[in-house]
Amino acid sequence: MTSDLLAPRQAPPSRRLAGRGLVVGAVLAVALLVLRSVTAGWGPEALPDRLRDFVTLSTSVVIESLPFVFLGILISIVVRFWVPDRVMHRIMPRNPALRRVTISLLGVLLPVCECGNVPLARGFMMKGFSVPEAMTFLLAAPILNPVTIVTTYQAFGWDDGILLGRILGGFAIANLVGWLFSRHPQPELLLTPAFDAACRVADGHDHDHEATGRQRSRLRRGVVAFAEETSTMLPALIVGSAIAGAIQVGVSRDVLTVLGGNPIWSVLALMILAFVIAICSNVDAFFILAFGSTFLPGGIVAFLVFGAMVDVKMITLMRTTFTTAALVRLVAVVGLASLALGFGVNLLA
Amino acid sequence: MRDRLLSRWRGIALSLVGVVAIVWLAASGQLGLYIHPRYFEFTVVMAVLAGVVVVAAFAVVPTGRADASGHDDEDAHEHEHEHPPAAPRRRGLDLVWAAAGVLVIAGTVVALLVVPPSTLTTATVDQRDLNASAAVTDSGATENLVGSDTASFTVKDWASLLRQGAGDDYFAGKSATLTGFVTPDQSDPENVFYIARFIVTCCAVDAQPVGVPVYLPDWQQSYPVDSWVTASGGFSSNPSASSTQAIAFVPAEIEAVDQPAQPYLG
Repeated sequence: MTSDLLAPRQAPPSRRLAGRGLVVGAVLAVALLVLRSVTAGWGPEALPDRLRDFVTLSTSVVIESLPFVFLGILISIVVRFWVPDRVMHRIMPRNPALRRVTISLLGVLLPVCECGNVPLARGFMMKGFSVPEAMTFLLAAPILNPVTIVTTYQAFGWDDGILLGRILGGFAIANLVGWLFSRHPQPELLLTPAFDAACRVADGHDHDHEATGRQRSRLRRGVVAFAEETSTMLPALIVGSAIAGAIQVGVSRDVLTVLGGNPIWSVLALMILAFVIAICSNVDAFFILAFGSTFLPGGIVAFLVFGAMVDVKMITLMRTTFTTAALVRLVAVVGLASLALGFGVNLLA
Repeated sequence: MRDRLLSRWRGIALSLVGVVAIVWLAASGQLGLYIHPRYFEFTVVMAVLAGVVVVAAFAVVPTGRADASGHDDEDAHEHEHEHPPAAPRRRGLDLVWAAAGVLVIAGTVVALLVVPPSTLTTATVDQRDLNASAAVTDSGATENLVGSDTASFTVKDWASLLRQGAGDDYFAGKSATLTGFVTPDQSDPENVFYIARFIVTCCAVDAQPVGVPVYLPDWQQSYPVDSWVTASGGFSSNPSASSTQAIAFVPAEIEAVDQPAQPYLG
C-alpha cells in the first residue's frame, strides 16, 4: 500500500506514464478503426470460398462469445475485489456436499453462459473456493441460470421431459463431478501450476488488502486483473473458435443428422454435434429446435446438457485453469453421465 | 519483464481488437452478418464496457510497471515469486509461447479487422443439407402458410411449402417475388439453381440454408454463384429431366441486386 507520505512524491511520474499510456491506447484504437475501414472496401471474393467461410464462422463464434467472456471477467473482478470474504463464507453451508449444492445454484444469481463462467470460476477459486466447488459451479451454472431455463422453456415447453431432463440432469451431473473430484487427495494438483500460484498469491494479498483497501486502489487492481484475465482467456477463446470454425468447414453434417433418429446413436451423434458446434447454453435450445425435428428427446437432452458443459471452445478455455489429466477425467465423467441421461430419457419418453 | 508484458498486454491487445471489430460492425450495420439481431444490444453494451476498461488499462498497467520498485505494486512481488530466474530450457519454452501469443494476436487482427466482413457462401450450403432445417420441414407451420396471403412470403416460406409437397394445385397460378443468393442445384447444375438464404438462430455458426429451385437454362452465364438476385414469376412442374425437384420456380423477370442489409433470415 502506498503510504500517504510516499504518495505525493510518486504521483507525478506515474501520472505522466498514465497519460502517455492513454495517448498510446487512443492512437492504437484509432489506427485499428482506420485499418478496418480501409480493408472493408476490399472485395471478400478475393478469398477462396472455404477459407472465407472459415473466417466468417470463426469470427461469428468470437463475436457471439466475447461479450459473455467480458461479462464473466467483470463479474469475477467484482466478486474478487468488492465482495468481502466474510460474506461469501457466511452464506455458504459448512457441509461440503451442501456447499456444492448451494454453489451449483449460484448460476441463478449470475446469469453468464458457459464461456463467461470460466473466468468467474477462476475468480471464485482466487477467493478461496476449493477446486471441486469451482468445478461444480462451472458445470452447473450454464444450465441452472434463468436465461437458459427460459430459452429452453420457450423452445420445448414441457414436451417429452426435455426441460426437466436438462435442469435435473445438469444439476446431478455437476454435483456428481464435484463429489468425485472432492475425493482427490490433493485437489490443487488438478490446477495448472501458473493458476495455482496465482491463487496462492491472491489469497494472501486479498486478506491484507481488505483491511486497508481503498476504492481507488481496488479499481486499479480490478483493471490489472482484467488485463491478466483477458490475457489468459482470450487466446484460448480465439483458438477454440478457430477450431470450431475449421470443423464446420471440414466436416459434413449429414452423417450426424442421419444418426439423430436412432434411439442409441441419436444420443451419441447429438453429443458430438454439441461438442463441435460450440454455441452458448443460453441459445442452444433454439438451435437444436431449428436444426431438425427428427431427433429423439434423449438425444436433445444429452445435447443440451453435454454441450453446455463441454465443447471445443470450453476445452481450450478450461485448459487455462485445469491440467490436461483433470480435463480428461472431467470430460469422461460428464460424457458418460450425459450418455446415461440421454438413454434414460429415451426409455421414459 | 517479457512475462509481464505478455501476461497483461496480450489480453489488452486482443480485447481492443475485439471491441473495435464489434463497434465498427455495429456502426456500419453489419453485425447481422455474424449474430442474430436479438443479441445486438447486449453485444454492443458489453463491447463498450470492455472498451472503457481497456482504455483504463492503458493508463493503469504502465504505472503498475513503473511502481514495481516502490511500495504500491503487489503484483510486482507476485511475479518475482512466481518466476525465479529462468533456466535456459525454460527460456526457450517462453520464447515459443511468446511467438504463439503474437501469432494469435496477428491472426485475430487479420480475421476481425483485415478480412472484409462477408456472408457465408455456397461452400457452406454444400456442407449442410439445403432445406433440411426444421424451419422448412415442420408440417405444422406449413399448414398455417397454406391459405395465407402469399405477398409477404419469404424464401423460407416458399421453401417449406415445396418441401412439404403442397401440391401442383396449390402452386398453380401463384406468383412470387424472391430475393436470395444463387447456389447450384446438385442434381442438375446446368439448368437449375436455388435462390437461397441462410436461417440464423444465434450466430452464423448455426446458419442453415433454405432455398427455392429455379429453372433457368444456362443461368451461369448471367448470374454467378453466390451473387444476389431478385426474381418474380410463377411455379410449374420442373422441366429439368435430371433435377430431383418436382416443382420449380420459373422466373418471368430476374435481375442482379446488391446483398441486402440483413442477408440472413431469423
